[in-house]
Amino acid sequence: MTYLRFQSITKRFDTVEVIHPTSIDIERGELVVFLGPSGCGKTTLMRMVGGLDDPTTGQILLDGQAVTTPDRRRGMVFQSYSSFPWLTVAENIAYGMKYRNDMTAAEKAERTAHYLSLVGLRDFAASYPNRISGGMRQRVAIARTLAAGSEVLLMDEPFGALDALTRERLQVQLREIHRREGKTIIFVTHDVEEAVFLADRIIVFSARPARVLADVDVTATLGADRSLDIRETREFFDLRNKVLHMIRHETETA
Amino acid sequence: MTMAPDEGRAPSAPQKTGGAFAPLFRFRGKAGSGVEAVVGILAALLVIGLWELAARLHLIAPQFLPSPFEVLQAGWRMLTTQSLLYHAGVSTGRVWAAFLLAAAMAIPIGILMSSYRIVGAALEPMVDFIRYLPVPALVPLSIIWFGVGESTKIFLLWLGTFFQLVLMVADDMRRVPNEYVEVARTVGANSRQVMIDVALRAMGPSLVDNLRITLGWCWTYLIIAEIVASNSGIGFVIWSARRFVKTPEVMAGVVVIGIIGLITDQLLRALHRRMFRYL
Repeated sequence: MTYLRFQSITKRFDTVEVIHPTSIDIERGELVVFLGPSGCGKTTLMRMVGGLDDPTTGQILLDGQAVTTPDRRRGMVFQSYSSFPWLTVAENIAYGMKYRNDMTAAEKAERTAHYLSLVGLRDFAASYPNRISGGMRQRVAIARTLAAGSEVLLMDEPFGALDALTRERLQVQLREIHRREGKTIIFVTHDVEEAVFLADRIIVFSARPARVLADVDVTATLGADRSLDIRETREFFDLRNKVLHMIRHETETA
Repeated sequence: MTMAPDEGRAPSAPQKTGGAFAPLFRFRGKAGSGVEAVVGILAALLVIGLWELAARLHLIAPQFLPSPFEVLQAGWRMLTTQSLLYHAGVSTGRVWAAFLLAAAMAIPIGILMSSYRIVGAALEPMVDFIRYLPVPALVPLSIIWFGVGESTKIFLLWLGTFFQLVLMVADDMRRVPNEYVEVARTVGANSRQVMIDVALRAMGPSLVDNLRITLGWCWTYLIIAEIVASNSGIGFVIWSARRFVKTPEVMAGVVVIGIIGLITDQLLRALHRRMFRYL
């Protein structure tokens, strides 16, 4: 059975069609990038998995169960306001488990410590988000969703506001976290380079109303092990250009 | 040609011209808070000095502008023989009673107004209408309703602040980023938990700021209420002194309000800094 299924999803806001009937199947543990022009509806599609938006018709099935409400199995990482400024780094991570009654305080503390070091923020445990860099804040948000026990990470242009170097570093770290934790990740971006570097698989969307233009198997071309050097290879370059052409064509007609 | 290593280099330390006060004269320059405090006190002393000078030289008749020294003397007299402290206490009590009442009502109602569209839709037109009514215009009505006792004063102060505050609270709530709410919901928070653990925390700093501002307005309306219908409080003191053209006492009364306001404001600011250290 497919792990995560978008089953003939459509979305209309009043009379505007935002999402053309769309079906996508995602396997457990895949890192799928939703790539498309800004405002095309890819974020809406991802938010449906989070239970934060409802499809007009069709449904999202996770492990065969229809998704209707938010749930800690499906965690969100936003581009901004991704962590709470009034909580320290450690408290932000622990917040992912705040409403779990099935864990003791000791278990929560242990888990917090584990994810704190997984994202390399042990030295900043007691710092407030306003005192750390934007890249660190995004790592806090990732750690919080992992601590919450999310099986699916929904990331809405999470590195969009970061400088180029920090962004690259976080992309590498996200691949590494994905390899170690084995979570399913849906990552929304409009940055082609980011998509090609990160993805196991890229779903390329058209301009609004969103429709799947292409389903690109990146791992088949680039393999699963990726360092920053891969960006300088012929294969990366060719794939990037191929995807870029699809998108460019879309933004011209839009 | 040989040069000593230090020659030919730009001066290593920024040149000090004019010392600690120099940044004050630079466009958008920054100065230490100590410097700013000194400047603030000096400017106030300068104004008082000019005032003293104008009074001493009889540039303005003393029944209109007594010297600062006379105002101080009047203040001391009022403090020692005319129970000024009692009146100040009465006024402060009224302000806080009305303020707390307004806040206790405005915070939940404001939050409901922006959390539930139907509550907002029902209340906003009324609130907007009432908030433009000038408080003095409602004095006669409030005397008819409540007589000239304490309830009239509390009512007038409440009237002047509640309707403003409720909209400010609604706005604070509306400005809580949706991301925070959604993060909470995706880790399993229910509506009550979203409200208490996230929304209230997120709006905290701006809420406390707005409460501080509203408390200041209370003093404005208090004086109106006490002038019209009272036999106690600073407004009453000022108004009675006016009848006998005791200008120094009128001014001393005004100064007392200013001092209470200044102290309260500074205390609330300090509280704000303590409560929201993370900012």
